[in-house]
Amino acid sequence: MSEERYKLHWITALIEVLKTLKEMIFPLIVLIFANGFQDSGTGKWYWDYLSFIILGVLIIVFFITGIIKWKRFVYWFEDDELRIEYGLFVKKKRYIPFHRIQSLDYTEGILHRPLKLVKVKVETAGGADISKSDAELTAITKEAAKRIEEKMAESKQRKIHKIDDFDEFEPVAEPSQKLKAVYKMDRKDLLVLATTSGGIGLILSGVLIFLVQFAEFIPFDKMYVEISEFIKYGVIIVVIVVLLGLLVIWGVSVLMTFLGYYGFTVELDKEDLVISRGLIEKKRVTVPLNRVQSVRIIENPFRQLFGYANVVIDNAGGGLGDSARINLLPLVKKTDINGPLKAIFPDLVVEEPTRKVPSRGKRYYYRIDFLWMAPVIGALAYFFFPYGLFSLLLIPVIVLWGLFQHRSAAFETFGNQLTMRFRGISLQTAYMMKNRIQSMEIKQNYFHRKKNVAIVSARVKSGMGVFNAQVSYIEEKDANEILDWYEPSVEKKVESNLIVDDILE
Amino acid sequence: MRKQPMNRISEKGLRVWRLYGIMQTILVLLLAAGAGVLTYIFEWSWGIYAIAAGVVLIYAYLFIVLFPKIRWLRWRYEVRESEIELQHGLFIVKRTLIPMVRVQHVDTSQGPILRKYNLAGITISTAATNHTIPALVMEEADELRSRISVLARVAEDDV
Repeated sequence: MSEERYKLHWITALIEVLKTLKEMIFPLIVLIFANGFQDSGTGKWYWDYLSFIILGVLIIVFFITGIIKWKRFVYWFEDDELRIEYGLFVKKKRYIPFHRIQSLDYTEGILHRPLKLVKVKVETAGGADISKSDAELTAITKEAAKRIEEKMAESKQRKIHKIDDFDEFEPVAEPSQKLKAVYKMDRKDLLVLATTSGGIGLILSGVLIFLVQFAEFIPFDKMYVEISEFIKYGVIIVVIVVLLGLLVIWGVSVLMTFLGYYGFTVELDKEDLVISRGLIEKKRVTVPLNRVQSVRIIENPFRQLFGYANVVIDNAGGGLGDSARINLLPLVKKTDINGPLKAIFPDLVVEEPTRKVPSRGKRYYYRIDFLWMAPVIGALAYFFFPYGLFSLLLIPVIVLWGLFQHRSAAFETFGNQLTMRFRGISLQTAYMMKNRIQSMEIKQNYFHRKKNVAIVSARVKSGMGVFNAQVSYIEEKDANEILDWYEPSVEKKVESNLIVDDILE
Repeated sequence: MRKQPMNRISEKGLRVWRLYGIMQTILVLLLAAGAGVLTYIFEWSWGIYAIAAGVVLIYAYLFIVLFPKIRWLRWRYEVRESEIELQHGLFIVKRTLIPMVRVQHVDTSQGPILRKYNLAGITISTAATNHTIPALVMEEADELRSRISVLARVAEDDV
């Protein structure tokens, strides 16, 4: 049975070439500049322009390979599989059964949009073989993308019918799924998101550094008024230029965030989350709800100050980075967090954990830091004698931060859910279900044992990697209690006791 | 207080760790000898000989005698019907609990030194984490591996 074979849109060739150029950008730049060092012509034109000739040839080669790659790439549907054949020299085939496909993610870049095209990334349940289980259709029409979805739905239905032993098979076109929007970001949110994400920290630190610099110039004043006037003038100019530079950086970061997160929407399908965003490059990611491993509320100190947080989910499958840790709600008022989260995860108890850690564990939050701090401070004080002593200020900072971390630490279990709150720099509250936790661990060193405190950590899968949620220095008996909560045989014992009780009554 | 896991790893494991310690000590010894030669050539202070010798001796004591002993005493494991529990660690004692339903596969592995002592290590992998029991007698390791894989197959659950 030979099915119709489909090609990608011809723009694929161009996109391929641009991608190669982007990857090769540094060697190419070197190539161009290599020519610039020759002073005068040697008389032979091809010698003078050698690097440009090489560049031209390379670009032509890229174009040819791009076109061949595009020509060779075909995909078709057969036996409930998406089959792809591709390869420049070696012909490769990849068959992906529809039921293994987890989601189709769409991206529309600048080149795609005028032609109504879309890039489709086929995400499969990430198995043992890491990167190569996924497939990418660089540019196909939206209708073609729709066709893939239809074929998938069709095959799913056929499967159900087969199981039910239905004789008459009617290809019911599934009613176009109703998506329910649960979260949208408006312009104000975008602006706050951009300002509070890292960029602003850069500016503040920059300003701080320059204020410090200014302070150092003050003693100059008294001694050399004239010179200092001049220097001060220069310094002011430098400061203004740098501030402007920082402002530009900030502006760029705002712009990037704005473009990247414009129109950020989370929609809820029956079993999937659909996240779409982007102004110039539109992205649409689908996350099956049953692949979500944990929900985390993250508040960086700056956002915490204004009562904002962002919510991240860990997704099993998918690769590293982006598709593993998905920014579900990039920015949300802490007080409004329950609305969208309840809509998406109705079973999740989104409450602050109430069980705190004992105060006798406080010291361990900063004590270990003295190990690296003492030599650093010692060295600074020795080599930069009077000013190096300022490094002593590190001590209270570290201690205060440790106390801050201690105050943030908390945990609680609700039924099958474990909630852990902890702080590195940002405050994180992780909500995990028992059946998503891959393993748990208690850690104690000699001193912790003496004071009956322990570190508890829970590991959940996050893409190909692992996310480790860890609350430090909780009561030893609480730690054991959590481990008992997690232990399957303890659970069974409790259940059988209940049954015995029932019988006795 | 939770009970400690029941089983210990093989006593021969202690010997293997000591052997590793001896190898490392030889490396340190070579470095110390190098320092000694340099001291001799450039006529540095005599103190360096003493320091080098001291470092080697302390290193030998810690890595051949003390640390393997503590580690061996600490290492315990228990494979129960529905979970695996491990306890290990030199300074920081770690107790790990891995439910059977989470176990995806079990491997045994054996390097040349372990083979000489008829030992093998078992690595238990979940979807996200790996856990290794370092030195078990070969037959015991094989038996444990097949037992875990049977138990993990019985215990069914989604990812």
